[in-house]
Amino acid sequence: MSSVALLTERRTFKRLRFAAPRLFATLLAFILAAIWLGPLALMVMTSIKPNKEFLNGPFALPIAPTFEPYQKVWEGLNFGVLMQNSVLYATTGSALAVLLALVPAFALSRFEIPGKKYVFALLLTGLILPQQTVLIPLYAVLRSLHLLDTRIGLIIVHGVYGMPAQILILRGFMTTIPREIEKAAQIEGATDFQIFTKIILPLSVPGIVVGYTLNFIAIWKEFVFALVFLNSENILPVTVGMLKLNSDRYITAFNLPAAGLVISQIPIVILFILTYRGISSGNFVGSVKG
Amino acid sequence: MSRIDDERYSFLAFARNHVFVTLFGIVAPVLLFACFIGYPIVYTIYLSFFEWNGMAPTKTFVGLANYSYMFGDKYFYISLENNLKWLVVSLAFPVVLGFLIAYAMRVRAVYFPTLLRTAIFFPVTMSLVAVGLMFLLILNPIFGAFDTVLRALGLGFLVSEWFGDYRIAIYTLAFVGGWAFTGLPMIFYFAGIGDVPKETFDAARIEGAGHLRMMLRVALPQLRSVTAVVVMLTLFESLKAFDLIAVMTKGAPFGRTNVLGYLVYLESFWNSRFGYGATVSVAILVLSIAIATLMLGTVFRGAFDV
Repeated sequence: MSSVALLTERRTFKRLRFAAPRLFATLLAFILAAIWLGPLALMVMTSIKPNKEFLNGPFALPIAPTFEPYQKVWEGLNFGVLMQNSVLYATTGSALAVLLALVPAFALSRFEIPGKKYVFALLLTGLILPQQTVLIPLYAVLRSLHLLDTRIGLIIVHGVYGMPAQILILRGFMTTIPREIEKAAQIEGATDFQIFTKIILPLSVPGIVVGYTLNFIAIWKEFVFALVFLNSENILPVTVGMLKLNSDRYITAFNLPAAGLVISQIPIVILFILTYRGISSGNFVGSVKG
Repeated sequence: MSRIDDERYSFLAFARNHVFVTLFGIVAPVLLFACFIGYPIVYTIYLSFFEWNGMAPTKTFVGLANYSYMFGDKYFYISLENNLKWLVVSLAFPVVLGFLIAYAMRVRAVYFPTLLRTAIFFPVTMSLVAVGLMFLLILNPIFGAFDTVLRALGLGFLVSEWFGDYRIAIYTLAFVGGWAFTGLPMIFYFAGIGDVPKETFDAARIEGAGHLRMMLRVALPQLRSVTAVVVMLTLFESLKAFDLIAVMTKGAPFGRTNVLGYLVYLESFWNSRFGYGATVSVAILVLSIAIATLMLGTVFRGAFDV
């Protein structure tokens, strides 16, 4: 064997030695991705299978794909109304949460307020409180305000319970805004209110977008409050309305629940694509930590 | 706006100088908090000493009767045990896996990190109702995909009644919950490891540390505050588990998959025993605070000091 051949052989061996663990890790990663994406892909596939094809097994590709399950479930569950309600709750509830959080975030990011610690402690309590602990009193409060089983009641609850997280996210964001601009404005005699509206607010827009999006998703997912505080069919959000898919009438036909849960996820998929960079990179985590 | 760093300043003096900030930045949120979060907590504790069907104008004071009933209630202990099982599964599966994936992506041990990250994070955006429905179909004993996969891999002997067997059902639920939760610890660790100076890892690398040593000796000690946040999050997530149970089992078989959060709902809104429901709520609250304080005082001592 010539020395050149030996050398190249050694080189390939060396390359292999470095590539092998990485290949192995990638293989593992693919298995993980399959475990996480597989169920979703399977649901999409199931949702377009006609009922009679189910005897072919869960992984059989649809032979005669159809959108009939979508049509059926859309009409059967009144999905149009459910979606409208969920969109309404998510958009207005998050807007309320952000609105309530803006000035507190400004206050906590810019001023050495005496007793700041305690305000933070309160916020954290609101953030981690199990919903079940406040379910009964909130039910009673809403009933006495005649807000039980109304859209506005649920929106207020979502707004107030979204506020603590929003304050933390926005505060984290506002802390990163350099102080030089407002120092200059201060010398010119600007008030706190002017500094807030003219400087901080416009510069906080990216933070507001991230916070709003996270809150939107949270309200879209929310289940307990809506389940307990709402009763009338025409104001239920998707999460509660979808429960019907779990009844025997629907679960015997796999394609209907599958179609239903695909529909329920579409708005979030759109949002996910639009805001992916901002959210899944974990940039928001930094603002929660501090 | 004068920033006061060294002077000690009373709240009133501050309020006089910054009326707008005080009113809308401190007073308003604290008031809202008091009405919608503080008052309900106090009211729950108050209600736990009463018997009330939720409708009647009068509540009957029963002292500690609800509590003594709770400590003799079989379902309370089953639920409590299930919550703890849920917590253990959540710490062992999503949190550890989330850390491993985040680490693998940061040290570029895998080829398509973005695909993996997206795949694992996506279920975090799904409602647990949708997740529950999905896994009801996948784990279905007759047409389910999961059993089919197991059989195809020659693991047919593992096939079980995932929801029917009372010994397994709660773990099935906890694993489904873990599937949906993994993205969150992963993102937290991903961001956390990104904040650790790259030189730290390079130095360890040059010293000849393997991945295991790097994870245990280099990454984890630097990530104490991230771990503390993640573990706290997992704790509260586990103690308020509700949605999946409401969708998938409703506590069946024989109340064996009840958790405390679901017990509160059942007792209050189905059995109209609001007093007892409040008592179980108080138990959840006490448990959350107790475990959190315990952890912050021992394992995570000082993790939140900045």
